[in-house]
Amino acid sequence: MLFAVVPLVASTARIYVTNRGGTTISVIDPATNKVVETITGVEGPEVVRFSPDGSRVYIVARSEDVLDVRDRKSGKTIKKVPISGWGNDAMVTPDGKLIVICIFNSTTGPDPIGALDIIDTKSLEKIKTIPTKGGLHDIAVTGDGKFAAAGSPVGRSITVFDLQKLEIAWEVQYDQGVVPLTIESGPDGAGRRIFAQLSKTNGFSVVDFATHKEVDRIIYPIDPKGYGNSCEGMSHGIGIAPDGKTLWANSRTVNSVFAYSLPDLKVLGRVPLPEVKVLGKEPRSGGPAWITFTPDSKTVYVSTCGARTVTAIDVNGLKEVARIPVGEVADRISTLVVP
Amino acid sequence: MVPMISKILPKIITAGIVVAAAISLYVFVPFARAQASQGADAQKPQLDYEFFKTRVEPIFLKRRSADHARCYVCHQIKIHTGGPLSLQTLLPGMTFWTEEQSRVNFETVSKLVVPGDPASSLLLRKPMSPEAGGLSDTHQGGWQFASDDDPDWKNIKAWVMGQKAAGSSAQ
Repeated sequence: MLFAVVPLVASTARIYVTNRGGTTISVIDPATNKVVETITGVEGPEVVRFSPDGSRVYIVARSEDVLDVRDRKSGKTIKKVPISGWGNDAMVTPDGKLIVICIFNSTTGPDPIGALDIIDTKSLEKIKTIPTKGGLHDIAVTGDGKFAAAGSPVGRSITVFDLQKLEIAWEVQYDQGVVPLTIESGPDGAGRRIFAQLSKTNGFSVVDFATHKEVDRIIYPIDPKGYGNSCEGMSHGIGIAPDGKTLWANSRTVNSVFAYSLPDLKVLGRVPLPEVKVLGKEPRSGGPAWITFTPDSKTVYVSTCGARTVTAIDVNGLKEVARIPVGEVADRISTLVVP
Repeated sequence: MVPMISKILPKIITAGIVVAAAISLYVFVPFARAQASQGADAQKPQLDYEFFKTRVEPIFLKRRSADHARCYVCHQIKIHTGGPLSLQTLLPGMTFWTEEQSRVNFETVSKLVVPGDPASSLLLRKPMSPEAGGLSDTHQGGWQFASDDDPDWKNIKAWVMGQKAAGSSAQ
């Protein structure tokens, strides 16, 4: 496997997007909005995350049930840590000590049984597997690193894990699948609310962290054009800007990303996303997938799986500033900050 | 009595004719339709197992380009989780399916095509570029085929059109 690395200067940011239908991870320089590096030889990459000091990258891919731990500068694999099955999303705790990995299917059969795998980054060993009702899709961690929340499309639930006790803390049950989600944390890092997208809702659910209850369900403003579904689900990709002032959420049926103010959740605007041209027919939704931000919260990046692009959007102006071609099925997207 | 009979008899005869006609319609029309359907089915090409095994099934395992993951990576049953194109899991250490597994794959994949009608066959349309009339933008495996000039796509089409493998018993 090749892993070309461009030397980074201090406080440099890079946007990484996994090309899940391909074998590469594209790395974008947010200063130029160009792909400056392509990590190759990773078949069906699901997600890439980083150690807090930027020295390691953690990769989960469909082709192998492992966490591939690599040295970022050399690109060499340090260790492949076996995981319990098909790994989907992963997150690193803010202190860098744990990696939590959503297992969508721990069996070899068609009926997914999920789990949360917890990897200790010092020993690079799996220290615990917590079985869950259904396969886990996406995960978010509170700012203080004490809890993680994961959504399950099949289990139709959010499971909140206590990362100190390494056990399930509480759950929220829905009547439809839970796809991407994010956590709003308070100034002390404690979880305040979960914003979770649901498979059959053109919007998202709001869960209060203190009461463990759904307290609101936000529906996106309707767009007169309307698009059919692209890839999976109506609503896919949600994130909070690092400054905590705005929430951004994708709609596939509107083919747009909506911006909301925090904490009041008022609509700030909508930015259309790339369409896909279709021979002899109306264009289709480009399939918004996931969201990330530059560390200064000035630019939001949205991957679009069907359009094979990443769209850079100016947060203040609510305008697209760049459309960056990447690989097949542009998927999970994350920001590396090198101190 | 006679006048009475003369009035009733034609009614009975008429009713008999109506009933007979109804029965004949009930029995013979569907039969005729079934005959026609069987005729149409007989005209449809038959999907050849040997061609599938030797020319189509290997495409699912082939690394077709550096830009594309193999079909199997996402379509193995544990990841496709019962979706329409869920392929059998390769046994440990194996690089191809067993005969029994290939038979199961044949049954699975055959449901995604309309013999003799490539334009209606999801297996051909789903991975094809939308610019070429396909649905690959809605395919989680991406734009596998840019056009119908792709040799792998042509092989799948040939199977859909009923091409037989050399030496196939079905030939």
